[in-house]
Amino acid sequence: MILHPGVLSLLVSSLLTLVMTFAAAGFGVRILRHWDLASGSERQLQLERRTYLVSTIVSYTLGLQLISIFLFLHTVDDLSSLFVGAMCAVGSLSVGSFGYPTLLLKIATFLLAALWLILNHADSRGYDYPLIRWKQWLLLLLAPVILAEFISQAVYFLALHPDIITSCCGSLFSVKDRTMATEVANAPPLPMLALFYTTAGLTIAAGLRFRRRGRGAYLFALLSAVQLAVAIASVVSVISLYIYQMPSHHCPFCILQKEYLFIGYPIYLTIMTTAVCGIGVGMLHRFRRAESLGEELPRIQRRLATVALWSLALQLVLATLPIVSTDFTLR
Amino acid sequence: MIRAQGISKTFNAGRPNEFRALQDVSVELPFGRTTILKGPSGSGKTTLLGIIGCMARPTTGRIYLGEREITSLPERFLTGIRRQTFGFIFQQFNLIKGLTVLENVMIPAYPLGEKHGLLRQRALDTLELFDLGRKAGAKVDWLSGGEAQRVAIARALINDPLVVIADEPTAHLDSRLSTEFMAIMRRLKGEGKTIILASHDPIVYDSDLGDLLIEMRDGRIVRGGERP
Repeated sequence: MILHPGVLSLLVSSLLTLVMTFAAAGFGVRILRHWDLASGSERQLQLERRTYLVSTIVSYTLGLQLISIFLFLHTVDDLSSLFVGAMCAVGSLSVGSFGYPTLLLKIATFLLAALWLILNHADSRGYDYPLIRWKQWLLLLLAPVILAEFISQAVYFLALHPDIITSCCGSLFSVKDRTMATEVANAPPLPMLALFYTTAGLTIAAGLRFRRRGRGAYLFALLSAVQLAVAIASVVSVISLYIYQMPSHHCPFCILQKEYLFIGYPIYLTIMTTAVCGIGVGMLHRFRRAESLGEELPRIQRRLATVALWSLALQLVLATLPIVSTDFTLR
Repeated sequence: MIRAQGISKTFNAGRPNEFRALQDVSVELPFGRTTILKGPSGSGKTTLLGIIGCMARPTTGRIYLGEREITSLPERFLTGIRRQTFGFIFQQFNLIKGLTVLENVMIPAYPLGEKHGLLRQRALDTLELFDLGRKAGAKVDWLSGGEAQRVAIARALINDPLVVIADEPTAHLDSRLSTEFMAIMRRLKGEGKTIILASHDPIVYDSDLGDLLIEMRDGRIVRGGERP
Protein backbone atom coordinates (compact mmCIF):
# COMPACT_ATOMS: atom_id res chain seq x y z
CA MET A 1 0.00 0.00 0.00
CA ILE A 2 1.16 3.54 -0.70
CA LEU A 3 0.85 5.83 2.31
CA HIS A 4 -0.67 8.76 0.49
CA PRO A 5 -2.89 11.19 2.45
CA GLY A 6 -5.70 10.67 -0.07
CA VAL A 7 -5.50 6.89 0.25
CA LEU A 8 -5.62 7.05 4.04
CA SER A 9 -8.50 9.55 3.99
CA LEU A 10 -10.49 7.42 1.58
CA LEU A 11 -9.93 4.23 3.57
CA VAL A 12 -10.88 5.87 6.85
CA SER A 13 -13.92 7.67 5.42
CA SER A 14 -15.10 4.48 3.68
CA LEU A 15 -14.76 2.51 6.89
CA LEU A 16 -16.68 5.18 8.78
CA THR A 17 -19.43 5.23 6.15
CA LEU A 18 -19.57 1.43 6.14
CA VAL A 19 -19.90 1.16 9.92
CA MET A 20 -22.52 3.91 10.16
CA THR A 21 -24.51 2.61 7.20
CA PHE A 22 -24.62 -0.93 8.57
CA ALA A 23 -25.53 0.29 12.04
CA ALA A 24 -28.30 2.39 10.51
CA ALA A 25 -29.40 -0.50 8.30
CA GLY A 26 -29.73 -2.69 11.40
CA PHE A 27 -31.88 0.00 12.95
CA GLY A 28 -33.76 0.22 9.66
CA VAL A 29 -34.68 -3.45 9.90
CA ARG A 30 -36.21 -2.75 13.32
CA ILE A 31 -38.16 0.13 11.80
CA LEU A 32 -39.45 -2.06 8.97
CA ARG A 33 -40.51 -4.77 11.40
CA HIS A 34 -41.94 -2.80 14.29
CA TRP A 35 -42.86 0.73 13.14
CA ASP A 36 -46.45 1.52 14.11
CA LEU A 37 -47.25 5.19 14.53
CA ALA A 38 -50.65 4.38 16.03
CA SER A 39 -48.99 2.66 18.96
CA GLY A 40 -47.82 4.45 22.07
CA SER A 41 -45.64 1.53 23.16
CA GLU A 42 -42.19 1.99 24.61
CA ARG A 43 -40.60 0.36 21.56
CA GLN A 44 -42.41 2.66 19.13
CA LEU A 45 -41.48 5.76 21.11
CA GLN A 46 -37.86 4.60 21.23
CA LEU A 47 -37.86 4.12 17.46
CA GLU A 48 -39.31 7.62 16.98
CA ARG A 49 -36.63 9.15 19.17
CA ARG A 50 -33.76 7.25 17.59
CA THR A 51 -34.78 7.62 13.96
CA TYR A 52 -34.06 11.34 14.16
CA LEU A 53 -30.57 10.75 15.55
CA VAL A 54 -29.77 7.89 13.17
CA SER A 55 -30.99 9.84 10.12
CA THR A 56 -28.85 12.83 11.10
CA ILE A 57 -25.71 10.71 11.50
CA VAL A 58 -26.34 8.85 8.23
CA SER A 59 -26.91 12.17 6.45
CA TYR A 60 -23.45 13.36 7.41
CA THR A 61 -21.72 10.08 6.54
CA LEU A 62 -23.47 9.90 3.17
CA GLY A 63 -22.56 13.54 2.59
CA LEU A 64 -18.97 12.41 3.08
CA GLN A 65 -19.64 9.65 0.56
CA LEU A 66 -20.64 12.25 -2.04
CA ILE A 67 -17.32 14.02 -1.63
CA SER A 68 -15.30 10.80 -1.63
CA ILE A 69 -15.75 10.14 -5.37
CA PHE A 70 -13.98 13.40 -6.19
CA LEU A 71 -11.29 12.72 -3.60
CA PHE A 72 -10.85 9.29 -5.19
CA LEU A 73 -10.43 10.82 -8.65
CA HIS A 74 -7.96 13.36 -7.31
CA THR A 75 -6.00 10.69 -5.41
CA VAL A 76 -5.66 8.22 -8.30
CA ASP A 77 -4.69 11.10 -10.56
CA ASP A 78 -2.05 12.22 -8.05
CA LEU A 79 -0.75 8.67 -7.60
CA SER A 80 -0.12 8.30 -11.33
CA SER A 81 3.29 9.95 -10.97
CA LEU A 82 4.43 6.93 -8.94
CA PHE A 83 3.78 4.26 -11.57
CA VAL A 84 5.95 3.55 -14.55
CA GLY A 85 3.98 4.21 -17.72
CA ALA A 86 1.12 6.07 -16.06
CA MET A 87 0.27 9.57 -17.29
CA CYS A 88 -3.00 10.17 -15.47
CA ALA A 89 -5.64 8.40 -13.37
CA VAL A 90 -6.02 5.75 -16.08
CA GLY A 91 -2.56 4.42 -15.23
CA SER A 92 -3.35 4.24 -11.52
CA LEU A 93 -6.74 2.64 -12.10
CA SER A 94 -5.16 0.03 -14.38
CA VAL A 95 -2.93 -1.23 -11.56
CA GLY A 96 -4.58 -4.46 -10.42
CA SER A 97 -8.12 -5.49 -11.20
CA PHE A 98 -10.00 -3.35 -8.71
CA GLY A 99 -9.36 0.21 -9.92
CA TYR A 100 -12.24 0.53 -12.34
CA PRO A 101 -14.69 -1.57 -10.30
CA THR A 102 -14.00 0.79 -7.38
CA LEU A 103 -14.71 3.81 -9.57
CA LEU A 104 -17.97 2.29 -10.85
CA LEU A 105 -19.01 1.39 -7.29
CA LYS A 106 -18.21 4.96 -6.21
CA ILE A 107 -20.50 6.27 -8.94
CA ALA A 108 -23.23 3.86 -7.80
CA THR A 109 -22.90 4.83 -4.13
CA PHE A 110 -22.84 8.51 -5.10
CA LEU A 111 -26.17 8.18 -6.89
CA LEU A 112 -27.82 6.03 -4.22
CA ALA A 113 -26.48 8.15 -1.35
CA ALA A 114 -27.69 11.35 -3.00
CA LEU A 115 -31.14 9.85 -3.59
CA TRP A 116 -31.27 8.72 0.04
CA LEU A 117 -30.40 12.24 1.16
CA ILE A 118 -33.22 13.64 -1.00
CA LEU A 119 -35.65 11.08 0.40
CA ASN A 120 -34.53 11.81 3.94
CA HIS A 121 -34.94 15.55 3.42
CA ALA A 122 -38.48 15.06 2.10
CA ASP A 123 -39.31 12.69 4.95
CA SER A 124 -38.16 15.22 7.53
CA ARG A 125 -40.67 17.76 6.14
CA GLY A 126 -43.64 15.56 7.04
CA TYR A 127 -44.92 15.41 10.61
CA ASP A 128 -45.75 11.70 10.48
CA TYR A 129 -42.53 10.26 8.98
CA PRO A 130 -44.30 9.67 5.64
CA LEU A 131 -41.34 8.11 3.79
CA ILE A 132 -39.68 6.32 6.66
CA ARG A 133 -40.15 2.80 5.28
CA TRP A 134 -38.94 3.75 1.80
CA LYS A 135 -35.93 5.42 3.34
CA GLN A 136 -35.04 2.22 5.18
CA TRP A 137 -35.49 0.09 2.06
CA LEU A 138 -33.16 2.39 0.14
CA LEU A 139 -30.63 2.20 2.96
CA LEU A 140 -30.80 -1.60 2.86
CA LEU A 141 -30.12 -1.42 -0.87
CA LEU A 142 -27.26 1.01 -0.32
CA ALA A 143 -25.54 -0.96 2.46
CA PRO A 144 -24.24 -3.89 0.34
CA VAL A 145 -23.08 -1.49 -2.40
CA ILE A 146 -21.12 0.48 0.21
CA LEU A 147 -19.67 -2.79 1.53
CA ALA A 148 -18.66 -3.81 -2.01
CA GLU A 149 -17.10 -0.40 -2.56
CA PHE A 150 -15.20 -0.58 0.72
CA ILE A 151 -13.80 -4.04 -0.08
CA SER A 152 -12.98 -3.16 -3.67
CA GLN A 153 -11.29 0.10 -2.68
CA ALA A 154 -9.35 -1.53 0.17
CA VAL A 155 -8.12 -4.38 -2.06
CA TYR A 156 -7.20 -1.87 -4.76
CA PHE A 157 -5.24 0.42 -2.45
CA LEU A 158 -3.57 -2.42 -0.55
CA ALA A 159 -2.26 -3.88 -3.82
CA LEU A 160 -0.68 -0.61 -4.98
CA HIS A 161 3.09 -0.62 -5.16
CA PRO A 162 5.25 2.06 -6.80
CA ASP A 163 7.30 -0.41 -8.80
CA ILE A 164 4.35 -1.66 -10.85
CA ILE A 165 4.47 -1.03 -14.59
CA THR A 166 1.14 0.08 -15.93
CA SER A 167 -0.31 1.56 -19.08
CA CYS A 168 -1.24 5.10 -20.08
CA CYS A 169 -4.57 6.39 -21.35
CA GLY A 170 -3.33 6.21 -24.96
CA SER A 171 -3.31 2.41 -24.82
CA LEU A 172 -6.65 2.13 -23.04
CA PHE A 173 -8.47 4.05 -25.77
CA SER A 174 -6.46 2.68 -28.70
CA VAL A 175 -8.49 1.36 -31.62
CA LYS A 176 -6.71 -2.01 -31.56
CA ASP A 177 -8.63 -3.39 -28.59
CA ARG A 178 -12.39 -3.75 -28.58
CA THR A 179 -13.43 -2.81 -25.08
CA MET A 180 -16.35 -0.76 -23.83
CA ALA A 181 -13.99 2.20 -23.45
CA THR A 182 -12.78 1.95 -27.04
CA GLU A 183 -16.33 1.48 -28.31
CA VAL A 184 -17.35 4.72 -26.61
CA ALA A 185 -14.17 6.52 -27.64
CA ASN A 186 -14.60 5.49 -31.24
CA ALA A 187 -18.20 6.57 -31.49
CA PRO A 188 -18.46 9.16 -34.32
CA PRO A 189 -17.71 12.48 -32.59
CA LEU A 190 -20.04 14.87 -34.37
CA PRO A 191 -23.18 12.66 -34.19
CA MET A 192 -22.24 12.08 -30.53
CA LEU A 193 -22.06 15.83 -30.02
CA ALA A 194 -25.47 16.18 -31.66
CA LEU A 195 -26.85 13.47 -29.36
CA PHE A 196 -25.37 15.29 -26.34
CA TYR A 197 -27.03 18.60 -27.21
CA THR A 198 -30.30 16.92 -28.20
CA THR A 199 -30.53 15.01 -24.93
CA ALA A 200 -29.61 18.13 -22.98
CA GLY A 201 -32.23 20.13 -24.88
CA LEU A 202 -34.94 17.55 -24.24
CA THR A 203 -33.98 17.35 -20.55
CA ILE A 204 -34.15 21.13 -20.22
CA ALA A 205 -37.53 21.20 -21.98
CA ALA A 206 -38.88 18.47 -19.68
CA GLY A 207 -37.45 20.24 -16.64
CA LEU A 208 -38.97 23.60 -17.59
CA ARG A 209 -42.32 21.93 -18.26
CA PHE A 210 -42.22 20.36 -14.83
CA ARG A 211 -41.22 23.67 -13.20
CA ARG A 212 -44.07 25.54 -14.88
CA ARG A 213 -46.88 23.01 -14.89
CA GLY A 214 -45.82 20.37 -12.37
CA ARG A 215 -46.22 17.73 -15.04
CA GLY A 216 -43.83 15.22 -16.62
CA ALA A 217 -41.82 14.40 -13.50
CA TYR A 218 -41.10 10.84 -14.59
CA LEU A 219 -40.09 11.95 -18.09
CA PHE A 220 -37.72 14.52 -16.60
CA ALA A 221 -36.23 11.85 -14.32
CA LEU A 222 -35.79 9.45 -17.23
CA LEU A 223 -34.17 12.08 -19.42
CA SER A 224 -31.86 13.10 -16.56
CA ALA A 225 -30.71 9.47 -16.24
CA VAL A 226 -30.20 9.24 -20.02
CA GLN A 227 -28.34 12.55 -19.91
CA LEU A 228 -25.94 11.07 -17.33
CA ALA A 229 -24.96 8.23 -19.67
CA VAL A 230 -24.86 10.40 -22.79
CA ALA A 231 -22.82 13.12 -21.08
CA ILE A 232 -20.17 10.68 -19.82
CA ALA A 233 -19.99 9.00 -23.24
CA SER A 234 -19.75 12.42 -24.90
CA VAL A 235 -16.89 13.49 -22.64
CA VAL A 236 -14.95 10.38 -23.72
CA SER A 237 -16.01 10.48 -27.34
CA VAL A 238 -15.91 14.14 -28.31
CA ILE A 239 -15.75 16.80 -25.60
CA SER A 240 -12.33 15.64 -24.43
CA LEU A 241 -11.00 16.00 -27.99
CA TYR A 242 -11.86 19.70 -27.98
CA ILE A 243 -10.39 20.19 -24.50
CA TYR A 244 -7.09 18.53 -25.49
CA GLN A 245 -7.32 19.89 -29.06
CA MET A 246 -6.16 16.51 -30.30
CA PRO A 247 -8.29 14.35 -32.59
CA SER A 248 -7.32 11.03 -30.97
CA HIS A 249 -6.94 11.73 -27.25
CA HIS A 250 -10.12 10.49 -25.58
CA CYS A 251 -9.02 10.22 -21.97
CA PRO A 252 -11.76 11.26 -19.49
CA PHE A 253 -9.18 11.64 -16.69
CA CYS A 254 -6.49 13.95 -18.12
CA ILE A 255 -9.08 16.74 -17.95
CA LEU A 256 -8.76 16.48 -14.16
CA GLN A 257 -5.21 17.79 -14.39
CA LYS A 258 -3.81 21.27 -13.89
CA GLU A 259 -2.82 21.62 -17.60
CA TYR A 260 -6.51 21.62 -18.42
CA LEU A 261 -7.45 23.90 -15.53
CA PHE A 262 -9.03 21.00 -13.65
CA ILE A 263 -12.07 21.43 -15.90
CA GLY A 264 -12.97 17.76 -15.45
CA TYR A 265 -14.08 18.29 -11.86
CA PRO A 266 -16.80 20.86 -12.58
CA ILE A 267 -17.88 18.88 -15.67
CA TYR A 268 -18.33 15.66 -13.68
CA LEU A 269 -19.87 17.52 -10.75
CA THR A 270 -22.51 19.09 -12.99
CA ILE A 271 -23.18 15.77 -14.74
CA MET A 272 -23.77 14.02 -11.41
CA THR A 273 -25.78 16.89 -9.93
CA THR A 274 -28.08 17.04 -12.94
CA ALA A 275 -28.65 13.29 -12.79
CA VAL A 276 -29.27 13.10 -9.07
CA CYS A 277 -31.61 16.10 -8.88
CA GLY A 278 -33.51 15.08 -12.02
CA ILE A 279 -33.97 11.50 -10.88
CA GLY A 280 -34.87 12.84 -7.43
CA VAL A 281 -37.80 14.76 -8.94
CA GLY A 282 -39.20 11.52 -10.36
CA MET A 283 -38.51 9.53 -7.22
CA LEU A 284 -40.39 12.01 -5.03
CA HIS A 285 -43.29 12.19 -7.48
CA ARG A 286 -44.26 8.71 -6.39
CA PHE A 287 -45.08 10.09 -2.93
CA ARG A 288 -47.05 13.15 -4.01
CA ARG A 289 -50.21 11.83 -2.37
CA ALA A 290 -48.64 11.69 1.10
CA GLU A 291 -51.00 13.92 3.06
CA SER A 292 -48.48 15.31 5.52
CA LEU A 293 -46.17 16.46 2.73
CA GLY A 294 -48.97 18.51 1.20
CA GLU A 295 -47.44 21.54 -0.47
CA GLU A 296 -43.95 20.73 0.75
CA LEU A 297 -43.25 17.91 -1.72
CA PRO A 298 -43.97 19.94 -4.88
CA ARG A 299 -41.79 22.70 -3.42
CA ILE A 300 -38.87 20.28 -2.92
CA GLN A 301 -39.40 18.88 -6.42
CA ARG A 302 -39.40 22.35 -7.94
CA ARG A 303 -36.21 23.19 -6.06
CA LEU A 304 -34.56 19.97 -7.29
CA ALA A 305 -35.67 20.68 -10.84
CA THR A 306 -34.21 24.18 -10.59
CA VAL A 307 -30.86 22.86 -9.36
CA ALA A 308 -30.86 20.19 -12.10
CA LEU A 309 -31.58 22.78 -14.79
CA TRP A 310 -28.92 25.24 -13.61
CA SER A 311 -26.46 22.39 -13.29
CA LEU A 312 -27.24 21.21 -16.81
CA ALA A 313 -26.91 24.75 -18.12
CA LEU A 314 -23.49 25.02 -16.49
CA GLN A 315 -22.58 21.61 -17.90
CA LEU A 316 -23.44 22.86 -21.39
CA VAL A 317 -21.37 25.98 -20.91
CA LEU A 318 -18.37 23.94 -19.71
CA ALA A 319 -18.72 21.50 -22.60
CA THR A 320 -19.28 24.19 -25.21
CA LEU A 321 -16.52 26.59 -24.14
CA PRO A 322 -13.64 24.41 -25.45
CA ILE A 323 -15.55 23.93 -28.71
CA VAL A 324 -16.18 27.60 -29.43
CA SER A 325 -13.06 29.12 -27.89
CA THR A 326 -10.45 27.33 -30.03
CA ASP A 327 -9.67 26.88 -33.71
CA PHE A 328 -9.62 23.13 -33.33
CA THR A 329 -12.19 21.38 -35.53
CA LEU A 330 -13.23 17.80 -36.17
CA ARG A 331 -14.84 18.52 -39.52
CA MET B 1 -59.18 19.07 24.88
CA ILE B 2 -55.72 17.88 25.85
CA ARG B 3 -55.77 14.13 26.29
CA ALA B 4 -52.97 12.11 27.88
CA GLN B 5 -53.30 8.41 27.25
CA GLY B 6 -51.33 5.74 29.12
CA ILE B 7 -48.40 8.01 29.89
CA SER B 8 -45.40 6.51 31.65
CA LYS B 9 -42.02 8.10 32.11
CA THR B 10 -38.94 6.23 33.28
CA PHE B 11 -35.66 8.00 33.89
CA ASN B 12 -32.33 6.12 33.58
CA ALA B 13 -34.09 3.04 32.22
CA GLY B 14 -32.14 -0.18 32.68
CA ARG B 15 -29.66 1.38 35.10
CA PRO B 16 -29.37 0.83 38.84
CA ASN B 17 -30.82 4.29 39.44
CA GLU B 18 -33.88 3.70 37.24
CA PHE B 19 -36.80 5.79 38.38
CA ARG B 20 -40.40 5.63 37.20
CA ALA B 21 -41.77 9.14 37.53
CA LEU B 22 -45.12 8.41 35.90
CA GLN B 23 -47.01 5.15 35.59
CA ASP B 24 -49.86 4.70 33.13
CA VAL B 25 -51.38 8.15 33.58
CA SER B 26 -54.46 8.95 31.53
CA VAL B 27 -56.22 12.28 31.88
CA GLU B 28 -58.38 14.67 29.88
CA LEU B 29 -57.98 18.43 30.28
CA PRO B 30 -60.68 20.50 28.57
CA PHE B 31 -59.72 23.69 26.73
CA GLY B 32 -60.73 26.92 28.46
CA ARG B 33 -60.77 25.34 31.89
CA THR B 34 -58.32 25.39 34.77
CA THR B 35 -56.80 22.16 36.01
CA ILE B 36 -54.83 21.88 39.20
CA LEU B 37 -52.44 19.00 39.76
CA LYS B 38 -52.02 18.43 43.47
CA GLY B 39 -49.53 16.17 45.15
CA PRO B 40 -46.38 16.00 47.25
CA SER B 41 -42.87 16.40 45.88
CA GLY B 42 -41.93 13.43 43.70
CA SER B 43 -45.52 12.60 42.82
CA GLY B 44 -44.91 13.23 39.09
CA LYS B 45 -46.65 16.59 38.65
CA THR B 46 -43.70 18.36 37.05
CA THR B 47 -42.95 15.39 34.80
CA LEU B 48 -46.54 15.27 33.62
CA LEU B 49 -46.57 19.03 32.98
CA GLY B 50 -43.33 18.73 31.00
CA ILE B 51 -44.76 15.95 28.85
CA ILE B 52 -48.08 17.71 28.27
CA GLY B 53 -46.19 20.89 27.34
CA CYS B 54 -43.93 19.02 24.86
CA MET B 55 -40.85 19.77 26.97
CA ALA B 56 -40.15 16.04 27.38
CA ARG B 57 -41.24 12.86 25.68
CA PRO B 58 -42.95 10.01 27.51
CA THR B 59 -41.53 6.50 27.71
CA THR B 60 -44.92 5.12 26.69
CA GLY B 61 -48.27 6.65 25.83
CA ARG B 62 -49.55 9.46 23.67
CA ILE B 63 -50.66 13.06 24.12
CA TYR B 64 -53.42 14.49 21.92
CA LEU B 65 -53.81 18.23 21.46
CA GLY B 66 -57.35 18.45 20.15
CA GLU B 67 -57.43 15.78 17.47
CA ARG B 68 -53.72 15.92 16.79
CA GLU B 69 -51.37 13.40 18.32
CA ILE B 70 -48.21 15.29 19.31
CA THR B 71 -45.84 12.88 21.07
CA SER B 72 -44.73 11.28 17.80
CA LEU B 73 -43.93 14.59 16.12
CA PRO B 74 -40.36 15.15 14.99
CA GLU B 75 -38.58 17.82 16.99
CA ARG B 76 -38.90 20.53 14.32
CA PHE B 77 -42.70 20.30 14.45
CA LEU B 78 -42.80 19.95 18.23
CA THR B 79 -40.82 23.15 18.64
CA GLY B 80 -43.50 25.13 16.81
CA ILE B 81 -46.29 23.65 18.90
CA ARG B 82 -44.39 24.22 22.13
CA ARG B 83 -43.70 27.81 21.16
CA GLN B 84 -47.17 28.77 20.00
CA THR B 85 -49.49 26.62 22.08
CA PHE B 86 -47.90 26.62 25.51
CA GLY B 87 -46.69 29.35 27.83
CA PHE B 88 -44.59 28.14 30.74
CA ILE B 89 -44.19 29.64 34.18
CA PHE B 90 -41.44 27.85 36.05
CA GLN B 91 -40.99 27.34 39.75
CA GLN B 92 -37.70 29.29 39.77
CA PHE B 93 -39.05 31.73 37.11
CA ASN B 94 -35.92 31.00 34.99
CA LEU B 95 -35.45 34.60 33.91
CA ILE B 96 -32.15 35.22 32.13
CA LYS B 97 -29.90 37.27 34.34
CA GLY B 98 -28.03 40.15 32.76
CA LEU B 99 -30.88 40.86 30.35
CA THR B 100 -33.57 43.46 30.87
CA VAL B 101 -37.16 42.77 31.73
CA LEU B 102 -38.20 43.67 28.18
CA GLU B 103 -35.60 41.41 26.58
CA ASN B 104 -36.63 38.49 28.79
CA VAL B 105 -40.24 38.90 27.75
CA MET B 106 -39.39 39.20 24.05
CA ILE B 107 -37.11 36.16 23.88
CA PRO B 108 -39.74 33.43 23.27
CA ALA B 109 -41.07 35.41 20.30
CA TYR B 110 -37.73 35.97 18.54
CA PRO B 111 -37.80 32.71 16.53
CA LEU B 112 -41.18 33.64 15.03
CA GLY B 113 -39.53 36.41 13.03
CA GLU B 114 -41.95 39.20 13.91
CA LYS B 115 -40.71 42.71 13.15
CA HIS B 116 -38.68 43.93 16.09
CA GLY B 117 -40.60 47.18 16.51
CA LEU B 118 -43.96 45.40 16.60
CA LEU B 119 -42.69 42.74 18.97
CA ARG B 120 -41.20 45.35 21.27
CA GLN B 121 -44.49 47.22 21.42
CA ARG B 122 -46.40 44.01 22.10
CA ALA B 123 -43.97 43.10 24.89
CA LEU B 124 -44.36 46.60 26.42
CA ASP B 125 -48.15 46.27 26.24
CA THR B 126 -47.96 42.88 27.96
CA LEU B 127 -45.74 44.32 30.69
CA GLU B 128 -48.24 47.14 31.18
CA LEU B 129 -50.92 44.55 31.92
CA PHE B 130 -48.86 43.53 34.92
CA ASP B 131 -47.95 47.06 35.92
CA LEU B 132 -44.34 46.53 34.89
CA GLY B 133 -44.03 49.09 32.10
CA ARG B 134 -41.73 51.32 34.13
CA LYS B 135 -39.42 48.34 34.81
CA ALA B 136 -39.00 47.38 31.14
CA GLY B 137 -35.42 48.64 30.91
CA ALA B 138 -34.31 47.27 34.27
CA LYS B 139 -32.11 44.21 34.58
CA VAL B 140 -34.04 41.24 35.99
CA ASP B 141 -31.30 40.71 38.58
CA TRP B 142 -32.68 43.60 40.63
CA LEU B 143 -36.37 42.66 40.65
CA SER B 144 -38.27 41.71 43.78
CA GLY B 145 -39.82 38.23 43.99
CA GLY B 146 -43.25 39.49 43.02
CA GLU B 147 -41.92 41.47 40.08
CA ALA B 148 -39.85 38.53 38.84
CA GLN B 149 -42.93 36.35 39.01
CA ARG B 150 -44.99 38.83 36.98
CA VAL B 151 -42.21 39.11 34.39
CA ALA B 152 -42.24 35.31 34.13
CA ILE B 153 -46.00 35.41 33.54
CA ALA B 154 -45.62 38.15 30.93
CA ARG B 155 -42.98 36.08 29.16
CA ALA B 156 -45.28 33.05 29.18
CA LEU B 157 -47.98 35.12 27.51
CA ILE B 158 -45.90 36.88 24.83
CA ASN B 159 -46.83 34.37 22.11
CA ASP B 160 -50.49 34.44 23.14
CA PRO B 161 -50.53 30.73 23.97
CA LEU B 162 -53.66 28.64 24.14
CA VAL B 163 -52.46 26.95 27.31
CA VAL B 164 -50.61 28.41 30.30
CA ILE B 165 -48.66 25.89 32.34
CA ALA B 166 -47.32 26.80 35.75
CA ASP B 167 -45.19 24.51 37.87
CA GLU B 168 -45.24 25.24 41.59
CA PRO B 169 -45.70 28.95 40.83
CA THR B 170 -46.10 30.01 44.44
CA ALA B 171 -43.32 27.92 45.95
CA HIS B 172 -41.10 30.94 46.49
CA LEU B 173 -43.77 33.53 47.20
CA ASP B 174 -45.29 34.74 50.42
CA SER B 175 -49.04 34.57 50.94
CA ARG B 176 -49.72 38.07 49.57
CA LEU B 177 -47.81 37.42 46.34
CA SER B 178 -49.36 33.98 46.03
CA THR B 179 -52.81 35.50 46.25
CA GLU B 180 -51.78 38.12 43.69
CA PHE B 181 -50.61 35.31 41.37
CA MET B 182 -53.95 33.54 41.69
CA ALA B 183 -55.71 36.79 40.83
CA ILE B 184 -53.69 37.03 37.63
CA MET B 185 -54.53 33.43 36.77
CA ARG B 186 -58.19 34.18 37.34
CA ARG B 187 -57.92 37.07 34.91
CA LEU B 188 -56.31 34.83 32.31
CA LYS B 189 -59.00 32.23 32.81
CA GLY B 190 -61.55 34.95 32.20
CA GLU B 191 -59.83 35.65 28.88
CA GLY B 192 -60.39 32.05 27.86
CA LYS B 193 -56.94 30.61 28.49
CA THR B 194 -56.55 26.97 29.41
CA ILE B 195 -54.56 26.86 32.63
CA ILE B 196 -52.74 23.92 34.15
CA LEU B 197 -51.18 24.43 37.55
CA ALA B 198 -49.11 21.98 39.55
CA SER B 199 -48.81 22.78 43.21
CA HIS B 200 -48.81 21.46 46.73
CA ASP B 201 -49.65 24.91 48.10
CA PRO B 202 -53.16 25.10 49.66
CA ILE B 203 -53.50 28.66 48.36
CA VAL B 204 -53.50 27.16 44.88
CA TYR B 205 -55.33 23.87 45.22
CA ASP B 206 -57.95 25.10 47.71
CA SER B 207 -58.82 28.12 45.57
CA ASP B 208 -62.03 28.19 43.55
CA LEU B 209 -60.00 28.84 40.39
CA GLY B 210 -59.62 25.17 39.48
CA ASP B 211 -62.36 23.47 37.54
CA LEU B 212 -60.60 20.14 37.83
CA LEU B 213 -58.50 18.94 40.72
CA ILE B 214 -56.24 15.98 40.06
CA GLU B 215 -54.38 14.44 42.92
CA MET B 216 -51.15 12.57 42.21
CA ARG B 217 -48.96 10.31 44.29
CA ASP B 218 -46.03 8.06 43.32
CA GLY B 219 -46.44 8.78 39.63
CA ARG B 220 -50.12 7.87 39.49
CA ILE B 221 -53.40 9.73 39.61
CA VAL B 222 -55.03 8.76 42.89
CA ARG B 223 -58.04 11.02 42.65
CA GLY B 224 -59.33 13.46 40.11
CA GLY B 225 -62.33 15.09 38.64
CA GLU B 226 -64.56 18.13 38.36
CA ARG B 227 -64.66 20.45 41.38
CA PRO B 228 -68.12 20.70 42.93
